[in-house]
Amino acid sequence: MQLTAVEEGMLEGREGPAKQRAMEGLVQLGRAFGAPRMVEIGYAHIHAGMALYLEDVELMEDLAAIDARMAVPASVNIANADVENWKLTGAPEKLAKLQRRAADAHHKMGSACTFTCTPYWAGHWPTWNTHMTSIESTVTIFCNSVLGARSNRDGFFAVYAGMTGRYPLFGYHLDENRRGTHRVRVATPLESVTDYSALGFHVGRIVGEGVPVFEGFAQRPSLDALDAMGAALATSGGVALFIVPGVTPPYATAEQAFAGRSPAETIEVTRADVDAVYGYFCTRGDGVFDIVHVGCPHASFEEMKDYAARLDGRRIFPGTEFWITTSRAVRRMAEEAGLLRALEASGAKVISDTCPISCHFARTVSPDPALGVVPPPIRSVVVDSAKQAKYVRDMIRCDTLLTGTAEAIETALSGRFVARGGVA
Amino acid sequence: MSTLQGHGIVNGRASGPALVAEEAISFLGDVDINTGTVVGDLPSVHGRSVKGTVLVFPYSRGSAGAWRFLYQLFKHGNHPVAIVTRDVPDPSVVQGAILAGIPIVSGVPPEEWERFRNGAVLTVDGGAGRVETPE
Repeated sequence: MQLTAVEEGMLEGREGPAKQRAMEGLVQLGRAFGAPRMVEIGYAHIHAGMALYLEDVELMEDLAAIDARMAVPASVNIANADVENWKLTGAPEKLAKLQRRAADAHHKMGSACTFTCTPYWAGHWPTWNTHMTSIESTVTIFCNSVLGARSNRDGFFAVYAGMTGRYPLFGYHLDENRRGTHRVRVATPLESVTDYSALGFHVGRIVGEGVPVFEGFAQRPSLDALDAMGAALATSGGVALFIVPGVTPPYATAEQAFAGRSPAETIEVTRADVDAVYGYFCTRGDGVFDIVHVGCPHASFEEMKDYAARLDGRRIFPGTEFWITTSRAVRRMAEEAGLLRALEASGAKVISDTCPISCHFARTVSPDPALGVVPPPIRSVVVDSAKQAKYVRDMIRCDTLLTGTAEAIETALSGRFVARGGVA
Repeated sequence: MSTLQGHGIVNGRASGPALVAEEAISFLGDVDINTGTVVGDLPSVHGRSVKGTVLVFPYSRGSAGAWRFLYQLFKHGNHPVAIVTRDVPDPSVVQGAILAGIPIVSGVPPEEWERFRNGAVLTVDGGAGRVETPE
């Protein structure tokens, strides 16, 4: 791998042990994937340090201790507890305190401690052709597909890229991998953001790690719809990039997206395909649920406005647990706009930094026993996101009831499950 | 003893008994981090422990969270000591292996796989891209 003099210097330790460790890792990664050289990145979305995994917060503390600093703008991924409002979730205080230690490490390293899977709603908005890195697949696909930035689906090394400002040149950083592989004809109207989530889940299962090109939308999908569709594509498949001609930079037409190659397959999506995803994630025949959840990926300010309008002046059904999850930045904006008071007056819980599958409800974690983490018994969760549904099933290991956002809110208000289509 | 040449993916050298999976592995979900036991739908190795083995599998199934689970296997002392694959694993798996110091060699020709018998001690040299087998 060809390194510049600056990169060689980092590798040899001339810029300290933190950059040396980071560059050693990135060089190995580059070698594994045949990268000819490094590229300079403009943004990194990095690991939080997760309190529910053994010595995982320490990963970030160890970097801070050897004076790691972010060389580029950096945001921080979702965490395992709401650091401020942990009591709302029933988490042990020790867990929240451990999670706060990760925040301290991020402050020292100069990363914006966003603790969210949607840093773009918090102002981290990389632009066309910005090379970047992300530990969160939802961020990767949104930034590639909606903003035209260049990102792989990364893991821990996003922090190494942030520390050095470098990333090996391979994968979705290269034009040759940013071309359509599958044509998707959407032959059904999509009536809600959750319909886009279901569409993404369906298509991701078919295309795997391909690049689907979408045609046939009746109108330009909203940013929230694109976010939901991308998150689902990245969940059921390994999709890092989708192309909507006229939306995804720089593709004005499907022909440009395919760049002269024939698609491997043309996928016609019907109403039945979308319905089938709802069916797949409605596993609780008796409609019993313990929690109603909206805000996966973490809600945008627009979604907070929508929730507040639907809940305006109404009360969550007594004994029903209703969670809205968002980033601390959007929560703060909602607070200043008066939305938070209205949401909380209805009985909704507005939770930041985490979500049902990221918090202590998950059964696939490995916390230090001293934290006293005990996952509560949960039979079923009502969700409005196919991504959340998939991981509720895999990580909380309980039933799911997938429905639209409006219907999820009606479920919380009435105490009875309202299936998709149940709200006009 | 004979030597198979592949591509070195993650540096390091380690030996252990082979555990050969015929199916693709996802480290998010297929292996219990608290025990090292294969709990996923992998008939060829279901119920076996990856702890201390040279884990051999064709390719990894994608998940951006895979690195964390491989690293957690290491933190709990339940990790494979080395990994041998046909295809280069996902970036996330490679990152977890570098973090945990687990050498990886990929690209060993499939026709050589029959030499990887469960329990036979393999030595993996990730720097040189070599796997040494007892026969």
